[in-house]
Amino acid sequence: MGQRSGRQERSKKPEMSLSENMKAEEEDDREENKELKTKDQRLPLVFGVADLKNGAVGLYNIGQTCCLNSLLQVFLMNIHFTRILRRITVPPYASLKRNNVPYQMLLLLEKMQSGKQKAVSPIDLAMCLSTHRVNMFIQHDAAQLFLTLWNLVKRQMKDQDLVTKLSDLYTICVQEHLACQICSSEMKRNSNMLTLPLPVLDSNSHMLKTLEDCLQCFFHPEELTGHNMCFCEYCDKKTPFLQSMKLVHLPQTLTIHLKRFCFERSTNVYKLSHCLPFPQELDFNAVLTEQQSQAHGSEKAAWRYEIFAVVAHSGSTNSGHYCAYIRSLTECKWYCFNDSTVCQVSWDDVKCTYGHSDLNWGQTAYLLIYMKKHPQ
Amino acid sequence: MAQWQEVQNLANTHLEQVHQLYAAAALPMAVRQCLAAWIEDQDWLQATEPLSSHARMLFHSLLALLDERLGSLGLGDEDFMLKHNLRKARRDLQAAFEEYPESFANLVANLLQEERRILRLGQAGGQGEAAPAPSTPPKSDREQEIQRRLAEFHTALQEAERAFRHLEDLQDAFDFCYKVHYLPGQDQTKDPEYTRQVQSLQAKLQNLDRQRREVVAQMQQLLGRSETLRDFLQQELKAWQERQQRSCLGAPVDTRLHQLEAWFTALGEGLFQLLQLLRALGELQQKVTYERDPLQAETPLLETRLREQLTCLLQSAFVVEQQPSMPNTPKRPLVLRTASKFCTRARLLVRLHDRNHRMEAAIHIDRDPPKTRGFRKFNILTSSSKTLLAGDSPREGLICDFQYLTLKEQKISGSGKGSKGPNEGPLAVTEELHLITFTLAYAYCGLEMQLETSTLPFVIISNSNHQLSSAWASILWFNMLSPNPKDQQFFATPPPAPWPRLAEVLSWQFESVAERGLSREHLHMLAEKLLGSKPSPESVLSWSKFSKDGAAGFSFWAWLDGILGLLQEHLKKLWKDGLILGFVSRKQEKKLLKGKRTGTFLIRFSESVLGGVTFTWVEHPESGRPAFRAVVPYTTVELASLALPDIIRDYQLLAEENIPENPLLFLYPDTPRDEAFSPYYSQRQEGSLTEKKEYLNQRLIRVSSRQANESWQTEEELVVATENLETLQLQPSGLGSLQPTSPGTGTVVAGSPGTLQPVSPGTLQVVARSPGTQHPRGPGTLQPVSPGVLQVVAGSPGAQHQRPGMLQPGSRGPETPPLVQVSPGGLEMLQAGTGAREPQLVLQLIPEGQGTLQVGPGSLGTLQVLPGGTGMLQQGGAGDRGTQQVAAGALEPQMLLQLIPEGQGMLQVGAGDLGMLQVLPGAVGTLQSAPRTAGMLQQVGAGDQGLLQPGPGAAEPLPVADDQGLLPAGLGDLGPMLQGQDMQELLQFLEQDLEPGTGTLETLEAAELMPNMDSGLGQMDARLGGSAALLDPRDPFLPQPEDTALPATSSLFTVDADFPPLHIDASDFQ
Repeated sequence: MGQRSGRQERSKKPEMSLSENMKAEEEDDREENKELKTKDQRLPLVFGVADLKNGAVGLYNIGQTCCLNSLLQVFLMNIHFTRILRRITVPPYASLKRNNVPYQMLLLLEKMQSGKQKAVSPIDLAMCLSTHRVNMFIQHDAAQLFLTLWNLVKRQMKDQDLVTKLSDLYTICVQEHLACQICSSEMKRNSNMLTLPLPVLDSNSHMLKTLEDCLQCFFHPEELTGHNMCFCEYCDKKTPFLQSMKLVHLPQTLTIHLKRFCFERSTNVYKLSHCLPFPQELDFNAVLTEQQSQAHGSEKAAWRYEIFAVVAHSGSTNSGHYCAYIRSLTECKWYCFNDSTVCQVSWDDVKCTYGHSDLNWGQTAYLLIYMKKHPQ
Repeated sequence: MAQWQEVQNLANTHLEQVHQLYAAAALPMAVRQCLAAWIEDQDWLQATEPLSSHARMLFHSLLALLDERLGSLGLGDEDFMLKHNLRKARRDLQAAFEEYPESFANLVANLLQEERRILRLGQAGGQGEAAPAPSTPPKSDREQEIQRRLAEFHTALQEAERAFRHLEDLQDAFDFCYKVHYLPGQDQTKDPEYTRQVQSLQAKLQNLDRQRREVVAQMQQLLGRSETLRDFLQQELKAWQERQQRSCLGAPVDTRLHQLEAWFTALGEGLFQLLQLLRALGELQQKVTYERDPLQAETPLLETRLREQLTCLLQSAFVVEQQPSMPNTPKRPLVLRTASKFCTRARLLVRLHDRNHRMEAAIHIDRDPPKTRGFRKFNILTSSSKTLLAGDSPREGLICDFQYLTLKEQKISGSGKGSKGPNEGPLAVTEELHLITFTLAYAYCGLEMQLETSTLPFVIISNSNHQLSSAWASILWFNMLSPNPKDQQFFATPPPAPWPRLAEVLSWQFESVAERGLSREHLHMLAEKLLGSKPSPESVLSWSKFSKDGAAGFSFWAWLDGILGLLQEHLKKLWKDGLILGFVSRKQEKKLLKGKRTGTFLIRFSESVLGGVTFTWVEHPESGRPAFRAVVPYTTVELASLALPDIIRDYQLLAEENIPENPLLFLYPDTPRDEAFSPYYSQRQEGSLTEKKEYLNQRLIRVSSRQANESWQTEEELVVATENLETLQLQPSGLGSLQPTSPGTGTVVAGSPGTLQPVSPGTLQVVARSPGTQHPRGPGTLQPVSPGVLQVVAGSPGAQHQRPGMLQPGSRGPETPPLVQVSPGGLEMLQAGTGAREPQLVLQLIPEGQGTLQVGPGSLGTLQVLPGGTGMLQQGGAGDRGTQQVAAGALEPQMLLQLIPEGQGMLQVGAGDLGMLQVLPGAVGTLQSAPRTAGMLQQVGAGDQGLLQPGPGAAEPLPVADDQGLLPAGLGDLGPMLQGQDMQELLQFLEQDLEPGTGTLETLEAAELMPNMDSGLGQMDARLGGSAALLDPRDPFLPQPEDTALPATSSLFTVDADFPPLHIDASDFQ
């Protein structure tokens, strides 16, 4: 998003103190905003075509990397993420550099933003990832690959402050409750998640109609009876439990994973491509009940989101293609990233990823990335 | 080429930008111009990639082309310059870019991009300018969006094709090098040249791989975009299907398909093109493949996805354009009769087909019949399949048009003909839904599939009209409510209809039959009838209540459909023009009519008779509550012989002791009957005066008779009256005998000796007497029953009492002038209708505004008197607005009597053309006669000063002035009194005043009105009028026209013994 090539220089100075760095970054942000406007007008005259895309640059498919490419675009188009990324400490040696995922991501980002090409090749990053057992010639599941990527980035960041920031940016906090139905004893456990894995079928295997329904279904308490009974310490036997989940905290960047790939009797995996609309704006307070959240007012007040990106899958479970629809945070325009091909689209095109009952091979949203709205 | 041409067509401001662009560019415009097409066809963007040999190739191709061009140029002057420029350009380019072909590629790519930007700007600007005068109706946003996306899709497709061609080139180049240079058998690793070759080969392969992936990515993108587009089209199609369904129910909606057809075809074309491209990609892969070849992995996936999209598109593009319907009931499709012809048509909106492939279309009925017991089975007769011939109708598109189909029931052994016998199902015949399915074997570009579409469910009936009606009810209910357009079991559990939805559909029925839907009031009445209460948006109506149950022996639908049938056959125009109030409950009807004048009527549909229409009118008796009368409803049987407007025109009420009369005077709210209905009257035959006719013309009229004490409902019989044309039209006989006598100055005695009867003090009486009356006492009377209120009682021949005239004050609510406070009930519109047989005489007294008095025969011999001012003629023009007019309806050449006071105190009685009797009072106190065309009679004008002047230019004022003693109460006295005084006082006053002069004709004469009148028409009672005027039809001063229209029966008005005495009887009063 309008990063200049000069940025790279700065991030290469590890000796710069943290506070200085932050300060510089903040200034830079302001500068950047200011510059963005003037730049927009100046660009067509000075630069070539690629710069006009202003950030929406394609990534060549090198092997079966459409999944990786889509996720990279989602990461790199997220200015909150790139802000963190740009402050990483550069590894001292070439070999370390080669194997450092965040660093390679940063390099790629700079390559995308500085080059004149309409697309760049993520070959270095792919090589780097393959040293971390992320093979580039197999078909990945986007949700899994997202977790892998994120964890790699986090693990290889040296700066604890940045790690915290990164976690804050993506982590969802929930509280799991297990209540024995006999003695009413209750167990609570806080846990963190990177994605909300939402079912698209309800407990009776009926198709859920909307994303809101999926969320409600996800947070709906579940009775554990029969085979699912748990051992209660107080009752000293297996008793029926009520399992429920309460939402504690939602991050700036919220990733929702629609569980469209359905495992049937462990062997058969099939895709559910039915229509599941998701809203442009999502207010969790309107979706969840009081009981389903465990947060104070100011936290809940911030639970208002708007959609930022959609990672869509087309094809079947065995062979398919990923593409990403991303709404540029600076331009507020939607782009569709199909590997090296990028084009501007509209919300209508994004809506097309709701899914169709009559198209099995069409695009269906798989990951939804929502961005917290700025408090007004 | 296209782009450069478009650039050249830009407006000057934008063209200037292009010039600037090229002024600074290293590529001279001459080169751009000269090689426009070639330049645009190359993929420069691709060539900008590093490691690409493409840029070098392009650059050298360009130089070669330039050389070629230079060689082809002649020696002309212009060519000379061009040649020079090109040669220079070539040298410069070579010098500058020989070593850096990539930067040249980049340069060109940027130039083209910039051109496109300018083009966009220019075209957007151009559209902005062209916008104010759009030749086509503005398209909706959605339509524009679809058009835009189609264009975009097309452009992207072209780009993909270009990328594909580039890929082909690359592959050829690689293939060639590979075959020439790659020699795996020999060990040449030591050979540096060979190593270099292999490296270059490796680079070429890299490049090829990249291009392949690029093309694949573009295809993915295209497919994604086309999905959105298909979504859009799907939505539009769905909207169309809903429109079609509504249109089947009679809604006025647009169900044309050509726009959708164009869109579907465009998208279909694009997708098929994409399919070809994919296949070509597959071929490329056949020739050269390698490990992890993206084409190998991706092409099948892409093709599956594309085929699925195409299949979906084609499936939805096959639609039933015309739902099955019988040609003789086009407004009720989806109801088919066995053995009757019907037609139906399907269309494939994607207008692409292979001319070498025969496309078979077939129709099937109930391919998947519901498992209901007794469900009838049918066969389609005549051929049920058809070949869609290529070129059959190129402009029409791809249609399967099945006409002349008939249905025949399959006989099941054991069941008799017509009866359902043991197979009797739970559903009535009219609730049994059938479907016709179209199938089409489609093949195009190697894609073969069976397309299928179904009609909406229809009902099959045998040959009865009753079934048609209830079958249509089923169709309405289904299409209104069924969520599934193919649900043949809908009537197993028919859902109830929400009232708002039903109301809309019912309204469409009327709209489709007679071009006017139901108003809110109509629907309100229907809702109350159906739901028994005020409708709310939540009100629902069950199917059985709609179509089955009914208190009156028929269901609601049967009743409504009866009305629809009646409208369709007889009342279309009246309904369309809003003359039929139609759906009015009795209660509402009374509420509406209560405040209206006597004789105000409305037309409504009968609630008790199937398909009946009736009119109800109001009568205000002198005392007591208003009475509402209605005639037994007319049905299509009656209306077939006589149209409703004619019935209304000639309607007669035969009261027991009276002559017939037409009680229908004003169409609710207050339109005079003939004004409202005359456009609808059937043309009456005009007879000529001279021609002798052997037969009298015949004409039907409707007459009701009622007993004196009968309640409101009247019986009616059809009377065939013989109409004597001569009588009607020959004025000499007609006029003389038909004239009502109207006393001037409030009393106009026209025609035969009218009796002027001040019945009681304060009572003005106009006695209109129809000629032909044998009774000595048959005068119509004009009676102000109460002070300030004028009442006209028109007696008709033979009428003994005051009733027949039915003169009643009708309220003129808002227009009641302030001056009228005195009169109770304000100044009222008075009407008199005389029931003369033919022509009817209606005497009307209508006070309008202040000071207007009109007396006029309407058409058909109607005499109207419209008094103005405070309603008192005596005021003689207290209101200058007070025009007294007798408006003559000109339709029928009957005599007209007009009383028109103009300006102050002017009273005019004038005969218009064709036997009009006109009285035109001149300026103040002047009596004038305004002769009109033939048949001019006489006129008498009364001035407010009581001057009565015979004729225009009459020098002498008539001695009728109030001062002259004969008039007890002058105008000046009366006026103020009326305004200020108590009613009783006024009455008494009048009584006293009038008393001396009552009763005799001598009184009139004493008023010295028409001393010399020997064949006069009118008489004037000066006293009564206050500023009285009396009419002398034969004023000597008047120019007397040829009295062709005038009866020579001067004896009519001779003051002889026959003349009934004028009397005032206080007891008569109220």
